[in-house]
Formats: sequence, structure tokens, C-alpha cells
Amino acid sequence: MAMWALLSGLRGDLTVYAAVQAELRRQRVDTLFVLGDLIGPEREANALLERLQQPRRGDLQPHCIYGWWEEQLLAERGFRGERRADALRQSGGEAAVAALLQAVDPGHMAWLASLQFGFVELDCALLHGSSTDVGDSLTADTAPLQLLDRLTRMEANRLFTARSGEQFCVELCGGGIESRLRDLEGERQQHQSVPSRKVIGVGSGLHYTLYDPGSDHIAFRRAGGPIHATGRGFV
Amino acid sequence: MAHAVISCLHANLAATEAVLCDIDQLGIDTITCLGDLVGYGPQPNEVVELIRARQIPSCQGCWDEDIIEGLNSCECSYPSQLAERRGQRAHHWTAAQLSEENKAFLASLPLSLRRDRLLFVHGSPNSQHEYLLPDMNAFAALERVEAAQADTLFCGHTHRPYVRELREGVIKMRLRRAVANPGPDIEREVDLPVRRIVNAGSVGEPRHGGTSATYVIHHEQDDSVEIREVPYDVERTCQAIVAAGLPPLFAWRLRHGFEYAERADDASHVCER
Amino acid sequence: MNRILLISGPPGCGKTSWILSQLQAHKGPCGYLRLAGFPAEGCPQALDGGIDQAVLADHCPGLRDLADPAQALAHPGGDLLALIELPQFQPPADADSSGIDPRLLPQLEALQLLPQRHLSFGRDAELPPQDTLQFNALENWALDLTRSVWDPPSLNSFWFELVNGAYGEVYRAKALMNLPDGRSFFFNWIVSQEGTQFLPLERVAPPEGRPQRLSRLVVQGKHLDAAGIEATIADCLLSDAVLELQQAPQRPSGAPLLATR
Repeated sequence: MAMWALLSGLRGDLTVYAAVQAELRRQRVDTLFVLGDLIGPEREANALLERLQQPRRGDLQPHCIYGWWEEQLLAERGFRGERRADALRQSGGEAAVAALLQAVDPGHMAWLASLQFGFVELDCALLHGSSTDVGDSLTADTAPLQLLDRLTRMEANRLFTARSGEQFCVELCGGGIESRLRDLEGERQQHQSVPSRKVIGVGSGLHYTLYDPGSDHIAFRRAGGPIHATGRGFV
Repeated sequence: MAHAVISCLHANLAATEAVLCDIDQLGIDTITCLGDLVGYGPQPNEVVELIRARQIPSCQGCWDEDIIEGLNSCECSYPSQLAERRGQRAHHWTAAQLSEENKAFLASLPLSLRRDRLLFVHGSPNSQHEYLLPDMNAFAALERVEAAQADTLFCGHTHRPYVRELREGVIKMRLRRAVANPGPDIEREVDLPVRRIVNAGSVGEPRHGGTSATYVIHHEQDDSVEIREVPYDVERTCQAIVAAGLPPLFAWRLRHGFEYAERADDASHVCER
Repeated sequence: MNRILLISGPPGCGKTSWILSQLQAHKGPCGYLRLAGFPAEGCPQALDGGIDQAVLADHCPGLRDLADPAQALAHPGGDLLALIELPQFQPPADADSSGIDPRLLPQLEALQLLPQRHLSFGRDAELPPQDTLQFNALENWALDLTRSVWDPPSLNSFWFELVNGAYGEVYRAKALMNLPDGRSFFFNWIVSQEGTQFLPLERVAPPEGRPQRLSRLVVQGKHLDAAGIEATIADCLLSDAVLELQQAPQRPSGAPLLATR
């Protein structure tokens, strides 16, 4: 039976990554997705980036996508056309941009530039933010209409997101809407039901998420925490 | 008070004049334009100058943006290689014809206009390139209006006029947070607001099966919306297309009520640029 | 006994469709020959260019090409059904007792294909009734499209424009055209019938560059804008680079071709 592990927000912290890997080794996880923010301005990320590209023996092979921090770095280093790290410059100033540039050896840029925006596995979309933007921060408190829109855009039943850093699961489980349309041909009415769908926040750093695509079971974990804490994921 | 909304003039002077004449005859003096003043049609300068002379507030359409920014609409918005090549030919012709002053005017247009809880855009609040088709997912449609903090969203771009009211929306949800701070699952029922999307159709390039220009009138007294069809001298524009050296196929398509180039059909497609 | 029939009629009357139904119903060996016909006054002959032969051969495996003497003569008795198609605007005035135009005899004798009967659309009740079209003074226009591959949505738009009169009054349009997925489509349209007949050929070309098989467009009509048709077609055909992009994922290895043939 397949089991996925999803993590994000490592921000260059090899110790955290090693702790998660060590824990995954003791569980029946067979696929590891790292949903972006591999790097950050706080610390040098080169050792982590090397380990992600060349896993150690015993490591679960990571499947990585780029996140908001990679997007800022790629833009600043000219990989996004004329755009630069404007969002970071606005929120953190020049110092944050300089720290980010410092954190990553230019030798890693080609690999970072090759990372995808997201994965679509089975009926699940695995993204850093959402289908609208890598920086789209979805939380447990995001309006359900917005969550439904993000799911609809991906044509996915499950959307795994990491941008907010929160661990949560919002299940859309009922409801509907009436739509009345008038055009040159006349008037018609249509009812649309809310499809049964979920948005899952996978967490950040030591906080990661396990997902069993066979049973749709979701379990939130913290590396170093009790592994067998109630797997009370709702199915 | 009544208020007219026009869109997608596409350098078709005869159609623009006919629609403005219709509006004048109805005694309406507030007009808003949703962009695409130029593109495909043969009289870009004349149409821009008419809108400027009448001082009609306008937002910027995707063609207006492309003409000033260089060909910017993404390839995937063209449904075929043929449509793309024809679109590019029209683009280059229009860019060469437009005066610098008129280009500067198009560059100065805002992406949206707002009057209280009415929002005016070309495509959608997200992008000039996004199509809000009449049959798009109702929740996604509602989200566009709601995210823009409007009650009624006026848009164009699809060239098909419609009024769509979204009401009685409810979403039931179950929320669970992380194990560290579990608490009970929260179940909630969220009522969605009533919102409306009004598409003004197209003055210069209809796509409703006929050749008439279309636009809408918003009657503010009872908040009703009227879709207007205005016949105009199509042959005058067709002759101008041929005389201008634009592809004669554009004249044939316009004369038969087909768009100059077919439109992309993907409602949810958003240009990434 | 071999049955040899000559089928004639004006372009678009349904000769090839009727012939296909006869060939498919026949249990024994079948053969087909398309004669060029004679230019009647004001009626240039249809430049089929092998489209009918290619469609019939695709749908009737083992169909003998009777234009090839080796295949035509290899039927010593038996139950061969040989159908000979002749585009002809009017039934011949000067015919022998079997109704066959004497000008055809030398060619048919050489192939030992003397028809037992001549059936003509509009004259013989065995054939389906034809829509009578005035084909006087029609222009014929043809374009060789061998090795050309279409962008499918562009082909759709072009065909829509063509049969709806964007390039002059079209009475008849017929084509075999290649798509990037290796399929070849037979398009057949006539003004008196509703809609276009679209028929994919059974044989699919491998996704390895440009197919070599027959591809051709034939148009009959009035005031045809040949330059306009060609200009639009040029906008619809795929370049080598785009074709390669579309074909590479279809190849088992997904590997790029070393050289585009």
C-alpha cells in the first residue's frame, strides 16, 4: 500500500530534514514530496540542497517543487525574465534579498530552475501555494469559496498546499448554488452542487503530513513527536 | 438613472458610431467602456479618437495592452495556429497604424474602474486575458466577483452578452487542525452572497450568431440590466478592412457574424504572464 | 465469371461511395480502376489525383489496382468484381450497344477489362438517385499536400471557411490530409449534401516525421480564390520543429529523431 509524506519550509535546515528522513525510514512511507521553500535567508542552504540532489543511502528519494523563496531567488538571479525579487524586497528589504543570495551557491541555480510549479498525482494537486500563485497562502480560515475556486482551477479533488505553514484539513462536504443566466437566446436556471473535496495544509519544517491515497487517510506529524499519535485523520 | 456599458470595439468605426447613436437616442449620458478599442478592425485611430472625444471612461483590454507592450498575450490563448498567425498579422498592422498619441492614451487606461459596488473590467478581476464564459463553474464565477469586493461585475472579452445572477449559495465544510492542537472537528455552513456578472458583449466583433453590435444598459433605479442589439452598416467596415490591406478573410468572417479569429474556449485559463 | 462494370457520372454524384459499398459487399477478389475521362466542353475533368484509389484501398484490403497491367491481367476466370470509375458530365451520345464510349476501348482492351455493362448516374435505375448539379463551367483547383501535416484546429477552421464560401463558391471539395498523430482523414463535401463526410483511414503512419503517402486537396467551384486558399493553408501547416514537438511524446522512447525525414 502506498503512503506519501509531504513536507515544506525546510529553509536550508539540514538538521530538520535529516530528522524527518530518519523518522520516515521507520514508517511505511514510499514517496516523499517536498513542497518548496527548500531555502531561506536565515542560513546557508547548500548542504541541504546537495543532500536533496544526491540523497544519502537510506534516504527516501525526495520529489521537490519550488516554493516562494525559490521563486524570489530565481527572479533575483534573472531566471524569471525581467521580474526581480520584488515581493521579498517589499516585505524584507534589501537585507533580506542579500541574505537570500548569500544562502545559495550559484552552482545550485540550474537545479533550482529545473524544479516544477507542482505535481498532479492521481486526483491530487501538490503545490506550494495554489494554482493562482506560488505565494497564495491558504489556511484553515481561508473562505471556503476561495478554497473551492483553487480546487476547481486545478480540476483536482485534493489540494495539498504549504505556503501558510499550517497543518489543517478543510473538507468541503455539501451545499450548492443557483445560477440564473439571461442572454440573447433567453433565460435558463442551473443548480450546481458543491463537490466533495479537500484542501490540506501540510505544515512546515518538523511538521509534516502523511497521506494514504488508497484510503484518503491524512495524518499530521511532528518529527521527534510520538509517531503513533492517534492517526485520527478523517476519512 | 441609466448607464450604458460597451466593450470590445475592435477598431470598427461603423459599429461604434451606431452604438453611440443608439445610446444618445435613449438619452443616456453615462457610458463606460471595457476596453479592446483596437485589434483586427480597420479604423483603430478613428475609434480611439471617438472614445477620447466623447470622454468615455474606459479600462484597458488585452488588445490595448498588447499594442503598447508588444505582443504579450500568451500563445495558449489562441485556439489554433491559424488564429495565432492571423492575430499576429492584425497586431502588427494595428501597431503600425496607431498614432503615438493614441498609443499613449491606451497605455494610460486603468485595468479596472469602480463605482461603489460596481466593478468594470475587460476580462476578469484577475486578468485581461481571462474569459468569464456564461457557463463557467458557478462557484468560480462567484469567487471572481467576491474577491473583487463587488456586487455586480461588468466584463467583456468573450464577445457574448449575458447577465448571470448567482444566488442561494451554501458551502458545508468540516475543518480539522493539526494533531498537536486537535480539538473537535468543526463543521460549518457558510452562506454565500448574491452576486451578478454582466457581460457587455461586443460592439465591433459580435459572436452571438448575428452581425449586430451588442452592449448593455444598467437601469440603476430597479437595478435591472438590458441587453441591446444594434444593427449597423457591416459592409462599410468590410470594405474598410479590404481597403486597409488586412486579410480579406476578416471581412468575410465579420459579414457572416463569425469572429475574426475563434476564441479560446477554456474558461478557467489564465494567462500566466 | 468475372464481373466488369463501368460506372460513370458527374463529380460528386456518389460514384465512389457506391463503388465502396459494392466492393465491401463482394466476397471474392475486387479490383478498381479510375479513368481520367474526357474534357467535355467547358467542363474540365476532376483532378482526383488518386484520392479515391487511396481511400478505397485503405477500406478494402487486397483491392487490386487495375491500372497496373500485372494486377489487371492476373484474373484468369473466377469471381473478380472489377469496377471502373469514369467521371463524365453527361452519358455519352456516341456509344456502342453496351453503352461504352468508343474512345475508352483501346485502353480497356489492353487491360483485358471490357465492361459487360456501363451504368451511368442519372440514367440507370440500379444506381442511387443523384442530386443534379449544374457542373457547367466549373473551375477545378487542386493542391498536392504530400508530406504536409496540419494543425488540427486550424484544419477545422480552414475547412469551415472553404465550404462556407470564404474562398469563392465551392460546389465540391475533397481531400486526404495528414494529422500529427499519424492519422490521415478523407474529407468529402458537396454543396447539395448536408455536412462534410470525415473518414479516418485505417492505416496510421508512425510518428516519425512527415508521412510519404498521398495527400491532396481538390476543389471545384466558381470564382475560386486560389491564392487565398493557399495563403490560409500555409498558416495551417506545421513546421518541422512543431511537428517534432508533437510527435516526440508519441514515440515509445520519447526520444528526438536524429534527422527529420
